[in-house]
Amino acid sequence: MSHATLTTPVRNEQTGEVDPDDIVAVPLRHPWRWFLAVFLLIGFVSLGISLWQNENIDHPTITEFIFNPRILSGVVLTVVLTVVAMLVSTVLGVLLAVMRLSNNPVMNTLAWLYVWAFRGTPLLIQIVFWGYLGLLYAQISLGVPFTDFTIFSVDTNTLIPALTAGLLALTLNQAAYSAEIVRSGMLSVDEGQYEAAYSVGMSPVFTLFKVVLPQAMRVIIPPMGNETISMLKNTSLLSVIAVLELYTVATQISSQNLRQVELLLVVSCWYLFLTSVLSIPQYYLERYYGRGKARTLPPTPFQRVRALLRRSPVTVRRTESQDAS
Amino acid sequence: MTTSAAPASAATSPGTLRRAADAPVEPLLSALKVRKSYGGVEVLKGISLAVNPGQVMCLLGPSGSGKSTFLRCINHLERIDGGRISVNGELVGYAQRRDRIFEMNPREVARQRRGIGMVFQRFNLFPHMTALENITAAPIGVRRISKQKAKERGLELLDRVGLANLAQSYPAQLSGGQQQRVAIARALAMDPKLLLFDEPTSALDPELVGDVLDVMRTLAADGMTMVVVTHEIGFARGAADVVVFMDGGVVVETGPPAVVLDNPQSARTKAFLDSVM
Repeated sequence: MSHATLTTPVRNEQTGEVDPDDIVAVPLRHPWRWFLAVFLLIGFVSLGISLWQNENIDHPTITEFIFNPRILSGVVLTVVLTVVAMLVSTVLGVLLAVMRLSNNPVMNTLAWLYVWAFRGTPLLIQIVFWGYLGLLYAQISLGVPFTDFTIFSVDTNTLIPALTAGLLALTLNQAAYSAEIVRSGMLSVDEGQYEAAYSVGMSPVFTLFKVVLPQAMRVIIPPMGNETISMLKNTSLLSVIAVLELYTVATQISSQNLRQVELLLVVSCWYLFLTSVLSIPQYYLERYYGRGKARTLPPTPFQRVRALLRRSPVTVRRTESQDAS
Repeated sequence: MTTSAAPASAATSPGTLRRAADAPVEPLLSALKVRKSYGGVEVLKGISLAVNPGQVMCLLGPSGSGKSTFLRCINHLERIDGGRISVNGELVGYAQRRDRIFEMNPREVARQRRGIGMVFQRFNLFPHMTALENITAAPIGVRRISKQKAKERGLELLDRVGLANLAQSYPAQLSGGQQQRVAIARALAMDPKLLLFDEPTSALDPELVGDVLDVMRTLAADGMTMVVVTHEIGFARGAADVVVFMDGGVVVETGPPAVVLDNPQSARTKAFLDSVM
């Protein structure tokens, strides 16, 4: 190993000049990073030990209920509610955003009113409102206004059971927020893109779907990921109208066995797990819609790990050269 | 019950497009006293121009003279306040029935624009599509041509602008000159009768200008009808059939390049040419 270091510069044999060699410097040390890491590690370990040894937590209860069938069915319903509400509200949100940005004053005002109403009142109140809609309208009927002619009439509580009410509340509320996110994404697309699309004879609707929305997605997806995680946790609010999602099930169980803290821990574990899983599709969606924006796409986590493994020989060489000096 | 407009008067009413019987060639583009204002400021003060099929017209003039605005009016990206623009004998952006003029709906305007290609100063390629997809998007989606046919034609056009090997590249991976040549291919893919160029080389590095101008010269030689807003006097001299000098929203001088560029009649044209050349 004949690695030259800075202390032994090489003289070029032909020209007699000193060639600057590769720099093999001693890396800058960061002692405070180590101090802080150790300090925090001690803190977390002692917190963990104190929780573990806390006599108020009955560990067997946690292990008993983490995969309990009732809890699992709650998890499934929570996921279904989140997925359905997000999908439908996104479609609605796009529609509202397009209405809001259209030249049509009627559409424009309607979208503005919608966002104003659904964003301006608390989600909890909207959930209760949809859950108890039967108190406002006992019957829902379809007919011609100002006449007695009706096509059908149905009992409100039959038409809208608790689950539907919960889904309606989450979806309609989320649509108002999504609309603003989609609108901001559409506004971020350059005016020249519309002009280019129009100049090749694309209609406004075709331009929207083929040119504007795909570019807006890049801006829309990160906040939408945020909204999805919020939605997942907001489904727990449906416990007020007794929809059997994760949190409702857990409170039902703990009201029987009086193990509130244990079941809250079970529920928290599940929410943490689900939110972690949700960030994976977001990452890949961002990558997909980022194409064409950067000259090279950022690596996926797998590619990053592989690159890290491939880079390790460099570290080996550095230690070798240090040994040589 | 009520009196209706006499049909006989329609043919002679002032708004009617005149089809000159004596002219052997019908102009592909004709503009008649075109006026346009932005918030009370008149930027086009009655522009009258005509371009015959196969002709190349270069619009020169200082910035703010209204040449880009006029170009954008030709495919109705800007609506005109007065006068008439017609392409291929059809009013742009408006429909004339009897003696009344109706606004076109967006679908009809889109149909009209298919016959008028445009190349922009800032290229305006779709960044989420490859070079080839940029070219084929409109033929597939708007003209309903089969994907296979559109792809073949797209590759042929890319070859024509000298970029056959970059079909799968995204715009961000291309140089300015390459992007502009893809933009030209995109405009050509709709088989337009008229091509508009809005300062196509102004945003390019000097050494990339030549490639784009070469493509434009080839198009001109192949008989494409073109209206080009440019500052490239050399291009105008070599490729244009008609050179128009605009200033302050009016046409100052118009004629063959040999006259307008080398022997300008107006003092304003002279001063402008002296400052650019």
